[in-house]
Amino acid sequence: MKPTMPISAASLGVAALAVAAVLPFLCDNYIVDVALTIVTYGILALGLNIVVGYAGLLDLGYAAFFAIGAYTTALLETLLNFNFWETIPVALILAGVSGIIIGYPTLRLRSDYLAIVTLGFGEIVRIIATNLNITGGPNGIYGINPANVLGHDITAPKAIYALGLVFLVIVLVLVLRLGQSRLGRAWTSLREDESAAEAVGVPTLRVKMLAYVIGALIGGLGGSLFAARFGTIDPTSFTYAQSVTILIIVVLGGRGSIPGVLLGAIIVAGLPEALRFLNLWREFVFAIALILLMLLRPQGLWPARLRRVAAPSAAAAHHTPRAEPAAQVAEATAGEPEMLLEAKGVSRVFGGLKAVSDVAFTVHRGEILSIIGPNGAGKTTVFNCLTGVLVPSAGDILWDGRSLTRLAPHRVVARGLARTFQGIRLFDNMTVFENVLVGMDHRFRVPLLAELIGLPSARRDTGLHYAAGRNWLEFVGLGDKAGLRAGDLPYGDQRRLEIARGLAGQPRLLLLDEPAAGMNPTEKQSLMGLIRRIRDLGTTVLLIEHDMLLVMGVSDRIIVMDRGQIIAEGPPSAIQANPRVIEAYLGTEEEVEDDGSLGAPILGAMA
Amino acid sequence: MSEFIQLVIAGLTTGSFYALVALGYTMVYGIVRLINFAHGDIFMVGAFLGWTVLTTLAATHMPWGIGLLIALILSMILTGGLGVAVERFAYQPLLSAPPLSILITALGVSLALENGVLLIFGPGFNTYPQLIGSAGFVLGGAHITFIQVGIIILSFLLMAGLYLFVHHTFIGTAMRALAVDRDAARLMGINVERVIQITFFLGSSLAAVAGVMEGLYYTEINFFMGFIVGLRAFTAAVLGGIGNIPGAMAGGLLIGLLEAFSAGYISSRWTDVIVFLVLIGTLVVKPTGLFGERVVERM
Repeated sequence: MKPTMPISAASLGVAALAVAAVLPFLCDNYIVDVALTIVTYGILALGLNIVVGYAGLLDLGYAAFFAIGAYTTALLETLLNFNFWETIPVALILAGVSGIIIGYPTLRLRSDYLAIVTLGFGEIVRIIATNLNITGGPNGIYGINPANVLGHDITAPKAIYALGLVFLVIVLVLVLRLGQSRLGRAWTSLREDESAAEAVGVPTLRVKMLAYVIGALIGGLGGSLFAARFGTIDPTSFTYAQSVTILIIVVLGGRGSIPGVLLGAIIVAGLPEALRFLNLWREFVFAIALILLMLLRPQGLWPARLRRVAAPSAAAAHHTPRAEPAAQVAEATAGEPEMLLEAKGVSRVFGGLKAVSDVAFTVHRGEILSIIGPNGAGKTTVFNCLTGVLVPSAGDILWDGRSLTRLAPHRVVARGLARTFQGIRLFDNMTVFENVLVGMDHRFRVPLLAELIGLPSARRDTGLHYAAGRNWLEFVGLGDKAGLRAGDLPYGDQRRLEIARGLAGQPRLLLLDEPAAGMNPTEKQSLMGLIRRIRDLGTTVLLIEHDMLLVMGVSDRIIVMDRGQIIAEGPPSAIQANPRVIEAYLGTEEEVEDDGSLGAPILGAMA
Repeated sequence: MSEFIQLVIAGLTTGSFYALVALGYTMVYGIVRLINFAHGDIFMVGAFLGWTVLTTLAATHMPWGIGLLIALILSMILTGGLGVAVERFAYQPLLSAPPLSILITALGVSLALENGVLLIFGPGFNTYPQLIGSAGFVLGGAHITFIQVGIIILSFLLMAGLYLFVHHTFIGTAMRALAVDRDAARLMGINVERVIQITFFLGSSLAAVAGVMEGLYYTEINFFMGFIVGLRAFTAAVLGGIGNIPGAMAGGLLIGLLEAFSAGYISSRWTDVIVFLVLIGTLVVKPTGLFGERVVERM
């Protein structure tokens, strides 16, 4: 993979690091000390940025992880005579475990509730540190040994600064790689639309948990460094105000933006030092400056770039035979049974309302099966039961002979069912290409660590992955729009991108929920062609649609639903002649006479 | 038994403060989906405004009841105005921006209010005039002060008044409509900006009442007092189900009782740990809080 920051930002970053590296040789200890504070905040803010910026979760108690790292290092050094480096693994483990503890109960909460729960967690950690004897109570812990490198104690400000800078660079590389990885994409998709992410294969609970844990690890590392720097720690360094300061850095700098977060650290840690001449007015002026900056730049000072990874060229993508759509589909559908899916007596009740009642049907390999019916007939509810969004109240859905009900949506996707939505649900603030990648990331078999390090096997898989994604864009006709923001696409293109995102996951069965809604006749015509091409590749299609021209034109078989029940099933010609279907759409004969004009266009379309 | 009654009364008293402040959090959240982190400091400013009026009036030998009434009303009006001004200048421009941006300006406003009061009134404690002292009566062996009784009664009256306002007036109906769908409310001809401002005014003036009462009850106020009350009140609002008015009242009283009992029977050092554990435990069992409703998402 090539570095994906633009040349200007990348070279600017290297230049900034070079300046940071030579700083100790040029400045006095006071400046170096302020710079070290900036570096510490930089590390912490990069960690919090994973939670807040990448994953879009809220954390008002991040200082807790900072505290856990610092206290672990301090206690192990003073009580058990560990040296600094030996304490780091333990500090990381404890911080990671507390990330799980805070993450677990909060995963299912609405995002606004996260604010108070994480805040509470931060306060609990601080109060425990203040009240226990082993942590030295309010006085904290003294006499923590400095870090030792090659027999030299790191005590001089400039040496500690150099050590801090090394830590910062390590964290920086980690977060940059994470941002480009499938996990980074999964976090962003979560931030954009959690249910859509789950429905295209992202294991949202695990991904959220990983955000908290990796954020916690970085916070813990910052804490260890902090303890070794000062040789003494006490609870006042780990207050709610500290958590808020780190959050301000992330949001003021620009959520999800690495250069933004570092700029935020420089401003938030450096500005109060620069404002010392204001004495008592300093904090007040800082607060007003913060409000004004947010009002002027609501997205942050240096907002995140849209594109994290670039799509390969069409030519390069075609050079990878295994990434061709036909090859991809052949791989997925190899050895699939004649009967793909069987719904047996599926019912779903909402309150007292039976939205779907005793629905049974089968889907056969390689067909285009449509479900039609008036609004409220229960079509989308059937889709939601098939895809794990809803659990049926009764009945079973068999796929490959195994039950699909009770599986989380992302597990259903992994079994080979992909879907689109009635109301378009793209990840608006990601590129077209990255939208497709999210849809296929559940197929990645290489471990995350291999991907982060960039092992040859991981590079090969990534290359195949990108080429396939590019080809699917080509397949739906969006090849030249790979780098655009998905939310900026015209309506018809958004529909097609949703289809590409579904196809990219190598499904055996593609479920399309009213794909033609809102399209003009030309767009519908090309959609019809697209659906046929999908089937011709070997992917089975299950379609919900109101547009009769389209349904009658593409379907091999049609199921008609009305008031939660299947009232007819058969090939298009039989459905058009079925009296029960005509009644469901047009009412009984007397009603037709009353309102014949309304029925005419539908009849015309069906004929 | 007498200790128990003592703790219940103390818990209801502090719970009244929390409930009144929690109402501000919950009303603002319900209508603009903002956690107003400056609200605790609005409460603090209310206490300082009340203190300023009371100490000014103390020189005029006015009967204390009238003086207190004037202090309450002035503090409510001025603090309400402050809430509206904060909304107008710091929040309104960001209502359509990412939610975190407005959260950060709220934190900025909080910091600005604390430091502004610090600059004007200084870092120390300001003593509230002793109007009633600790006079009271004995009930079941517990000493109950008139201040406590007054605070509890006044809070219940205000909460009942707010409930009636929200459910039986045109503006209250408009507020509830906004909470459901701001755009639809606008299309129905509701002046959305004005309703939001009224919400901030009401929330801030209720916090001002709590501020003045807290000053009378604890006798000392300082610029940092808004933090802990704001935190507990916010916890109360979430515990009751944020956005839900009866939930905020119940949550406030519950937190007050929890605080009194943990201080009385365990140790006040662990109060916050206990409060937060109860909150987290409640949310794990009932993720929307005690009175919150489940939000159903359409696919």
